[in-house]
Amino acid sequence: MSSRILVIDDDAFIRKSFILALEDTGYQVDTVESGEKGIEMEQNNPYDLIFLDLKMPGLNGVETLRELRKIDMAVPIYIVTAFHKEFFEGLKKAGEDGMDFELVKKPIGAAHIVLVAKSALEGTTGY
Amino acid sequence: MKRIILRLYVTGTTPRSVKAIANLKAVCEGELEGNVDLQIIDVLEHPQWAEDEKIFATPTLIKEIPPPLRRLIGDLSDKERVLLGLEIVEAIESNKAGKQPPDDPE
Repeated sequence: MSSRILVIDDDAFIRKSFILALEDTGYQVDTVESGEKGIEMEQNNPYDLIFLDLKMPGLNGVETLRELRKIDMAVPIYIVTAFHKEFFEGLKKAGEDGMDFELVKKPIGAAHIVLVAKSALEGTTGY
Repeated sequence: MKRIILRLYVTGTTPRSVKAIANLKAVCEGELEGNVDLQIIDVLEHPQWAEDEKIFATPTLIKEIPPPLRRLIGDLSDKERVLLGLEIVEAIESNKAGKQPPDDPE
């Protein structure tokens, strides 16, 4: 069975970008527009990999991360964010609290989306 | 063996970052026989350094020296993939056989 990926992002363009980038990889990709819906999806049928936007209305990325980790401690979660120090305060606190996550820089192109997904699902990948 | 310069970009002290650091240190002390200058950079503390290096995900490992420059993404748990990806297997084998690896073109 192919690996399943969940993309949580309030921006429809970003969600579509992930679907298009990963359509030829064989991975199954689902997208949702809010942290609340992402948590519900993960609860109903756990994923192998999650891409999670940091800045969202409603539950933001850090709040969603904390809820997702109550459901599943093992699934790789990549926080999708610009690399700016002022964005990282909440993430630092989450890390200190034992929340596991990695970072993906926003904006991200199709080739880089595929590289990150492959490295998370199939092992270390060079480029 | 020639000195190897590596830079590992991680996300604070999250479990995956800690695992990547431990995996890499095991390779450095084992197969690479300690001939490594390893710099570990926390992207949460130094986002601009990651920007300057065009890092787009963590963990990312960069081999700067010897050339060619190579980049790996992932938790570095598969030693063989790490060594092949960094293109330093030849240097190790040459070292084991008591031969000098070929000089760099420049």
